[in-house]
Amino acid sequence: MDARNLLRDPRDRRLPRVPDPCALVVFGVTGDLARKKLIPAVYDLGNRGLLPPGFVLLGFARRDWGDGDFEQLARRAAEQHARTEFRADVWQRLADSIRFVPGSFDEDDAFDQLDKTLIELEESHGIAGNAAFYLSIPPVAFPTVLKQLDRTRMADSRQRGGFRRVVVEKPFGHDLTSSRELNKLVDTVFTPADVFRIDHYLGKETVQNLLALRFANTLFEPVWNSNYVDSVQITMAEDVGIEGRAAFYDAAGAGRDVLQNHLLQLLALTAMEEPVSFDAESLRTEKHKVLKAVSLPSDLDDFTVRGQYEQGWLGGTRVCGYLDEEGIPAGSTTETYAAVRLGVETRRWAGVPFYLRTGKRLPRRVTEIAVVFKRAPHLPFAHTDTAELGNNQLVIRVQPDEGITLRFGSKVPGSAMEIRQVSMDFLYGAAFTESSPEAYERLLLDVLLGDKTLFPDHVEVEASWRVIDPLEEFWHGRRPERYRAGEWGPHGADEMLAREGRTWRRP
Amino acid sequence: MSVTLWDTTGSEVVRALATERRAGAMLASGLALTLVVCVDEKNVAAAEQAAMVAAQAHPCRLLVVIRRQLETADRLDAEVQVGGRLGPIEAVVMRMYGRLTLHPESVVLPLLAPDCPVVTWWHGPPPEELATDPLGVLADRRVTDTALAPDPLRALTVRANDFAPGDTDLAWTRTTPWRSLLASAFDAMDMPVSSARVAAEPGNPSAALIAGWLSARLSIDVERADSAGPGVTEVALFLQGAEGEQQVISISRPDGRLATFARSNQPERQLPLSRRSLGDLLAEELQRLDADDVYADSLEKATGTTGLTSRSPRRSHIWRDPALQAAAAE
Repeated sequence: MDARNLLRDPRDRRLPRVPDPCALVVFGVTGDLARKKLIPAVYDLGNRGLLPPGFVLLGFARRDWGDGDFEQLARRAAEQHARTEFRADVWQRLADSIRFVPGSFDEDDAFDQLDKTLIELEESHGIAGNAAFYLSIPPVAFPTVLKQLDRTRMADSRQRGGFRRVVVEKPFGHDLTSSRELNKLVDTVFTPADVFRIDHYLGKETVQNLLALRFANTLFEPVWNSNYVDSVQITMAEDVGIEGRAAFYDAAGAGRDVLQNHLLQLLALTAMEEPVSFDAESLRTEKHKVLKAVSLPSDLDDFTVRGQYEQGWLGGTRVCGYLDEEGIPAGSTTETYAAVRLGVETRRWAGVPFYLRTGKRLPRRVTEIAVVFKRAPHLPFAHTDTAELGNNQLVIRVQPDEGITLRFGSKVPGSAMEIRQVSMDFLYGAAFTESSPEAYERLLLDVLLGDKTLFPDHVEVEASWRVIDPLEEFWHGRRPERYRAGEWGPHGADEMLAREGRTWRRP
Repeated sequence: MSVTLWDTTGSEVVRALATERRAGAMLASGLALTLVVCVDEKNVAAAEQAAMVAAQAHPCRLLVVIRRQLETADRLDAEVQVGGRLGPIEAVVMRMYGRLTLHPESVVLPLLAPDCPVVTWWHGPPPEELATDPLGVLADRRVTDTALAPDPLRALTVRANDFAPGDTDLAWTRTTPWRSLLASAFDAMDMPVSSARVAAEPGNPSAALIAGWLSARLSIDVERADSAGPGVTEVALFLQGAEGEQQVISISRPDGRLATFARSNQPERQLPLSRRSLGDLLAEELQRLDADDVYADSLEKATGTTGLTSRSPRRSHIWRDPALQAAAAE
């Protein structure tokens, strides 16, 4: 905030950061993401008093609707999905500043109307030209909408005064070339500094806590390197299937949908050097360095695995196979599971494998980073005493049960010296996680405040594609291995680790 | 899950808590602090409810101390709760009788979570001198509520005279949403403020603290006006432009729920500004465990005292025996 604001004292940590008066324009506001995440997040921010006095939410979608219809939808969304308690008076205040403009993305008239509405709202709500545009739309529609924003000069901050920001969701393209084109387009319509790419994983408390764990403590950093670390396993498992996103998912697959963004971002945060400060620029520099240092295995056949789920039983119900899902072409070779061994070619990490895996229809929903340490070089115990001793592990549980687990050997009570692996758990407490800000709430607030710390930059996105592109090329046209829905992935994934004498941790 | 001990001792309570923690599989792992609550029998339910809300954000061990009558046999009753009716926290509710009421720390000290900060909260009229309460001396942070005093404005002055860094008051916590709105109004401010006015129901300590804060930050005089309430009802800032033009920014909240934000030559805007629950206030208080210098500055201005932040944060216990005092009075 402005240093000239006398009422803001750096010692005054009670005062929250509240954005300047601004408008949030959401394209595709009737979609799933907007209903389940964005609108509830806006309500929660309002309820917590984090929205400025002058705030408007402007929805745009192809529906023959008036403001009232949209308000109804938004109200239902907030009632059902908001994290904080629903209060009619908070809603009433928000409802007064909610507008809807109907139209499709190729209609010039609709965008002119949008522009006009935005200007009217800015005048009536005392907003000095600040607006953020949230593109909650399929990637194919990006260019159309961006060109419309360019044509109407809605994206031009110099003309409007105030800030003009754009928020885009993954996927940021489908390979390096397309992502570059997309970046170029977005960066010319807006300025690069005003483009916010959302990776909602980075908005999660635990992910930010990884940075606190590593850089606020002395205990972990000294062993955070190849001298002590044997390997790192990063897992993002989902129990759901493709949830009606057939067209998108079949074109993308697990590699582009998850590996390229979430998993590589988690890898970057785990492996990066200490940033000189905790600002967007320094953090990006370090993450980019790591992503540039990521190497693929020379033998892609042995150290990458793709899988596709077949019908099976999951959580007590029978679920169909990927090929039987509605909208999936017969004989599709898209992977719903991907595992890969990556290396990070730096002094800190030379020789430490990073095993990344993600899949759909796995036994449970879990995301975690497991740092597996080397065995002690010498054990002064009899071999049989330590039969049950495994590697020390530090596990950062990203979701659910946000927290940290430390696994180490401990003596079994009794007269014999027997050592077994035990877990020490740090939980944020079931209740705490409920009330900690939902990722979208945090990220949306950061967009309105202009804080880019938790948003991957286009250089990171491009560096990630540079890792994924050769994989996708190698995978192209190959048949993925089958695994039963409800299993921890195909057998090939177990074999991949077994080749190096390791096993996957069961999350 | 829960065990009640009648006519017990401190060490039995410690043992019972350890047993319950084991049985409850350490539900509240990752303790951030110990919260000691000093409360009267009639306010126990409200205090427990608030502590439960606050504990959702700040996992803590809750020690509720209820000091009953002095003129009776010494006795301690305790109820140990782990993951029971008080939610996922570990709690000990203690009732003390007789001379034990003068030595509550003898029971509380061994129950403090090892090496965690201790916050003591008085849910009732604040003591005249915190150092006379052993439970205030052992705490790193002390939270009072002058709004519950018979004469809140006088209580504020007492707090200032007795102040040590680490003290805060819920009357100050109640000002946060107001201060947040005022600060964001100031983000887009291009004119200096010449004076201000705070209106509230008579004797409202939060209004005095808002006025103190504005006066400390902006070096202006702040007028205080009485209204019918509830609580603080309006804050107005008078702006003076370079060419003599004058503007007013006002935030008014006549109903305790919805505020109207108005600035000269601009449309009015409505925004929620609800009075918060005790639990929410307490949760905000537990957010930061270091001394609140901004509160000290505002309290200075509100009460006309000085040098609050340079006082020692440590207190040593001042022994005062009510029996001796009563005898002396006769």
